[in-house]
Amino acid sequence: MTRRALLAGGVLLTLLATGGCGVRPSEVITGRPAVSGPSRGVGLYLLAEGELVLVLRPASADASPANALALLAAGPDENERKQGLTSEVPAGLDPVTLTSGANRSDDLTVRTTAAARSLSSRAADQIICTVADAAAQSGLAENSTAVTIVGSDGARPPRPCPLS
Amino acid sequence: MTRWASARVLGLRVRLLLTFALLGVTTTAAVASGSYVQARTVILQQAQDAAVMSLTDQLTKVYPIVQLPPTQADLDLLAQRLSDRQGFAVVVYRDMRSSGGAEIADPLTPELRREVGDGRIAWQRIARDGQPWLLIGTQLTLEVSDGTSRPSGLEVYSVRNLVPEQQSIDRLATRAWQTGGLSLILAVLLALLAARGVLRPVRDLGRAARRLGEGDLSTRLTVRGADELADVARTFNDTAGTLERQVGELRRMESDARRFVADVSHELRTPLAAMTAVTDVLDEEAEHLPGDAGRAARLVSRETQNLTQLVNDLIEVSRFDSGTARLALDDVDVAAAVTATLRIRGWLDRVRAELPPGVVARLDPRRLDVIVANLVGNAFRHGAEPVSVRLRADADWVTIEVADQGPGLDPAVLPQVFDRFYKADTARTRSEGSGLGLAISWENARLHHHGDRRGSLVAGNAPGGGAVFTLRLPRDPADAGGAR
Repeated sequence: MTRRALLAGGVLLTLLATGGCGVRPSEVITGRPAVSGPSRGVGLYLLAEGELVLVLRPASADASPANALALLAAGPDENERKQGLTSEVPAGLDPVTLTSGANRSDDLTVRTTAAARSLSSRAADQIICTVADAAAQSGLAENSTAVTIVGSDGARPPRPCPLS
Repeated sequence: MTRWASARVLGLRVRLLLTFALLGVTTTAAVASGSYVQARTVILQQAQDAAVMSLTDQLTKVYPIVQLPPTQADLDLLAQRLSDRQGFAVVVYRDMRSSGGAEIADPLTPELRREVGDGRIAWQRIARDGQPWLLIGTQLTLEVSDGTSRPSGLEVYSVRNLVPEQQSIDRLATRAWQTGGLSLILAVLLALLAARGVLRPVRDLGRAARRLGEGDLSTRLTVRGADELADVARTFNDTAGTLERQVGELRRMESDARRFVADVSHELRTPLAAMTAVTDVLDEEAEHLPGDAGRAARLVSRETQNLTQLVNDLIEVSRFDSGTARLALDDVDVAAAVTATLRIRGWLDRVRAELPPGVVARLDPRRLDVIVANLVGNAFRHGAEPVSVRLRADADWVTIEVADQGPGLDPAVLPQVFDRFYKADTARTRSEGSGLGLAISWENARLHHHGDRRGSLVAGNAPGGGAVFTLRLPRDPADAGGAR
């Protein structure tokens, strides 16, 4: 009888302990991928503490890849600078020409009069991601297309944007 | 009933009650807590899913996003648009955070921010200030034309109070407790019913066994049903029946024997009366008879007297045995009655009597006479003079002590002196007495009773030597009763 009572009490206690009362705090529960939606404007990639950060400029500007690169070469504006965003793309990059392949999956080539090989790798990533984004927006190429930068001192090997 | 309940702390009733209660409580607790946990999960899940749905719905209206990085004003505006009655929103962009609307300080947990930073909708329940809160967080990502998306760096967190859900769950818990209590009451009632069903036959059995032990051999149980208890009852009835038959047989044989003695005694009376008449004549003629004939005549006469005495004593004893002996009560002056007894037998001069006058008791005077005469006669025959008779009385008892100065009674024979035909002196095969005198005196003393008090006759030895017989008869001056 005592053993039975002890057993029953144990079961009861276990139930109560695992169940608890009221609303208990929980672990983090994950669901669907994050909310996604369209954007309007020209997307540029600047640097914040060495990381690539997407910046949207108002849509009034021309959204072509060449224009996007021109805006990138102009550097961060006042508001962006205030928030600690920088750019390593030299102002002398502009003007550039962009050639795309026959298919959307073909590589893009950016040609500039400035030196290409001496660009820092972060500056190259800025250029590659901005061009790829703009090309994807205007339907010229896929977002993950590799980009080759050709400058006065030769070409950099083709490389896709590291964010996609 | 109360005897059973109070005497058995761990009796059948209590054990049954405990078992049932335990069973009921365990089952209810298991069922109630199980359904409670499930219902709680469902309530919380519904609330969370609804909140997530509502947040994603609202967030689709935020698009398209036109400017990055946002200004502080943009963040505040967005947070304000996403706040409603049920909660508020916090919008984070890198190191910036929307201000205002924060009902609780710093609700966001690092682990939630990590999950949201990894690009999925995530939610978490937390407790702050004793209240439960639900945090839902998501990044706002930007679609690129071909279906892939880029993180914008904007994170939106919706903070909802879960107190309404908590209240619903608390109501559930209250209901679960009530159900548990109700089922406990039900279990106790059932246990009492079951205990009654089991205990009633057991109690009946116990009561019947007690009655049987007290001598009521006609006790029987009613056999109900066909279970083990019914078997026990049947066995009990069989045993009681056998016992009753055998005891009845024994009683019948004993009463037959007694009736035989009584009948024989009565049958002997008539011839004895004739013989007594003849021996009276013989006694008168004995002196004129020569030698042996005279001695023989005297012997016959004496033995006839003894035989008459024996038959009379046997008749008296058989009256006691058959229960037909009756007291003829009268208010008696005890001192006067004892004196009369002594005087009639011519013992007044030989007995040292201490008889305080004025003791009046309601007694049977003939039986008192028989007892006193027997005791004093025995003292003369077996003890040594002087013989003393002492009367004492208090409110409840009349006590008469008859003592002699003889050798006293052997302690070994004390328990048997009142047995029938018991001879203290085994060497004396023939004595003057019938051997029934003390037995009759003892029965006569016992016949007197008043309420619970019953007369007694006790044999003993005085400290200074000599036998002492103490007769005690109950007395009640107020009540004229005492009769059988």
